[in-house]
Amino acid sequence: MSEITKKIQEIAREILEKGEAEIVIGWEKGTFWYLSPPAFIDKPEDTQRLVWDEFCHNNLSKYLLDYKNHEGKVAIFVKGCDSRAFNRLLQDKQVDREKVVLIGIPCTGLKDQDKAKSLGPNGDIPKAQKCMECKYPTPLVYDYLIGGEEALNEVAATKEAPDFSDVKAVEEMTPDERYDFWTKQYDRCLRCYACRNVCPACSCRECIFDQTRIGWIGKANNSSENQFFALTRAMHVAGRCVECGECERACPMDIPIMLLNKKLIKDINELFGKYDAGIDPEGKLPLGHFDKNDPEEFM
Amino acid sequence: MSVKEIPQNWEPKILVFACNWCTYAGADLAGLSRLQYPPNIRILRVPCSGRVNPQFVIRAFQRGVDGVLVAGCHPGDCHYVTGNYFTRRRYLLMQRLLQYVGIDPERFQARWISGSEGPKFQQVVNQITEEIRAMGPNRKLRDAQ
Amino acid sequence: MKTIAKAKLPLVLELLAKEYKVLVPAKFEGVTRFTPYQQDVELALEENVIMPPKDIFFPQTEKMYKFKAKDKSLEIEEYPLEDAMQIIFGIRSCDMKSIDCLDQVFLTKSYVDPYYKNKRDRSILVALSCIEPMDSCFCTSMGIDPQKAVGADIQAYDLGDKIGFEAISDVGKEILEKISSLLTEEEVTLPAVGEFNLNADVEGVPEKLKEMFDHPIWDDISRKCLNCSACAYVCPTCHCFDIANEVRGEDGVKIRCWDCCMFDEYTMMAGGHQPRPGKKERVRNRFLHKLRYFPERYDMLLCTGCGRCVVKCPVNMDITSIIRQIKNA
Repeated sequence: MSEITKKIQEIAREILEKGEAEIVIGWEKGTFWYLSPPAFIDKPEDTQRLVWDEFCHNNLSKYLLDYKNHEGKVAIFVKGCDSRAFNRLLQDKQVDREKVVLIGIPCTGLKDQDKAKSLGPNGDIPKAQKCMECKYPTPLVYDYLIGGEEALNEVAATKEAPDFSDVKAVEEMTPDERYDFWTKQYDRCLRCYACRNVCPACSCRECIFDQTRIGWIGKANNSSENQFFALTRAMHVAGRCVECGECERACPMDIPIMLLNKKLIKDINELFGKYDAGIDPEGKLPLGHFDKNDPEEFM
Repeated sequence: MSVKEIPQNWEPKILVFACNWCTYAGADLAGLSRLQYPPNIRILRVPCSGRVNPQFVIRAFQRGVDGVLVAGCHPGDCHYVTGNYFTRRRYLLMQRLLQYVGIDPERFQARWISGSEGPKFQQVVNQITEEIRAMGPNRKLRDAQ
Repeated sequence: MKTIAKAKLPLVLELLAKEYKVLVPAKFEGVTRFTPYQQDVELALEENVIMPPKDIFFPQTEKMYKFKAKDKSLEIEEYPLEDAMQIIFGIRSCDMKSIDCLDQVFLTKSYVDPYYKNKRDRSILVALSCIEPMDSCFCTSMGIDPQKAVGADIQAYDLGDKIGFEAISDVGKEILEKISSLLTEEEVTLPAVGEFNLNADVEGVPEKLKEMFDHPIWDDISRKCLNCSACAYVCPTCHCFDIANEVRGEDGVKIRCWDCCMFDEYTMMAGGHQPRPGKKERVRNRFLHKLRYFPERYDMLLCTGCGRCVVKCPVNMDITSIIRQIKNA
């Protein structure tokens, strides 16, 4: 058992025993060695199920939406990206800071599940793509921190520069090539909405994609409706995506969803100035405010 | 899915989202002033250019328009004070996103046209119609039914 | 048994493709699924395909009929049914069982679904045995023999570097006859099936679940579920659908689309009442359907142990562990 896992279990037990929170949400080992799905612990003796390893991908902040109307407090573990997601939800007034106990884990980057599956436990498994471009490996907000301040500094050193080369590669294609590329990607979309449901930026109580009767989206699965879904979803999370990459990981059809999200992040940075979602819970969203001096292209 | 041939007798269909307070009045002025422009546009009056939801634009392409124009008051002139500033941000981004998935830039445009700019309305409609006529029918994003 | 070297399998498919539409497990646009055979098709015979054969018989979106409504008149135009025979090659035992499940739903109990029946009737099924189960497989726990499929016209056997064929039905015999020039007759012993990593003991589970509708276990199981439909849409047996109209002016099309018990609109009633409002109710329904309601009605489980949901679920909802929890509850 790793040092961090031990600490996680200890702190979770303490929180439950002291009654600081009614439930602790962390990760546990799943069916396979390369899966560490979310675990909901409400009894101190169950805290031994909790683990921390390189496959703790799930962004636990999303689950806070389930506890929005819950009386008691909830404790969750947050990596850098999860803490950004938490800030984002805070910014949208979706969660009450007072009702959440955050336990920060400085994260040195997670490993790619799909590659782990094909390479096996002894293989040299590369980092997940999202972690290779992670600007915020350390939690930005926390009540407790696993590993203390020195761990923060250590992890901060692993900080990576965001890389938009994949976005640029698509930008360099001709319009028809781009259309073919995206049509092929989204033709295999099942519209299972795993990307939406796993996304911490998707916090609408009612989603337009659940309103087929009203006609916001057709029920049929075809190129046109799938692209409507793709583009609308991308616009909806524009300026709110915290780059946790969960959508792409959750996608059963391996659609490069982050390639759309990153395009919007890149453009927001270019058009409206540097902005990283989920850094400042008090700040304004790029599409939620404006500057009179924004670029003018519509004269 | 590029369009090599333009079918005979084809006329471009262009949807204009016109804000009630400026562009719609601008279009009205163009009419009153007997300024001619091609009949290829369909005007959809909206209270403010800020009302135009990105879904409306994609839906228009799905249902078979060849071009979309979102038009509203000049920045600073919004009837609701700031609506068009939000529009500007939203559609700067949307324009790039649509191009990123392969929509030609001419197909989706945004313009500021005030109530006194009848001639500008004429000129923009002329220009956008010609551009789209030259490109042929839009097949991208269309639902096949 | 009649056999052919694996490397020569394309010859068989090629020959059959001259006369039939042949669907083969192949990698298509990044996903393995049943794809029409063409010369450059990227066959995927190592592992079972990600998309089950379900959508061959029950497509995700199916046009039922067209209509035109003008003033008070209504014209309905049916789409012509296809009649060309098709061969589906390489269906694993688990997926063969799933076709059996779908047959129960769409063809028995006094209602025959014409859309399904048409596709089913003109399909010739060539099952393919498994010798090396994937990590996520547990078909044997569901009473399925990975080497012997139910309902196949031809049973093909994975013999390592060869593939053996055995005709089961009359149509199967005819097909084998057609390719016999490519096959050699030889004695074979079937290789042993490898170890299964996952298993589930379903003995008595349907009966036990009768008393478990209000059991607290559902709160616990459902908490991590995201209510997406990845599991249902990759499931070979999930068969819920929704019928919708797509209307453009006077013209419209009636379409039938996959639906999933995880969605809000699935159980939404007129007037806005939602009988299954949350994760708990929806997750409970999914597993009760698979493990209790379906066995009650059709005397078989609605799970074939293919393991797709275990692999594709973003939060690792594992039906084998849920069965275990039900057992221990």
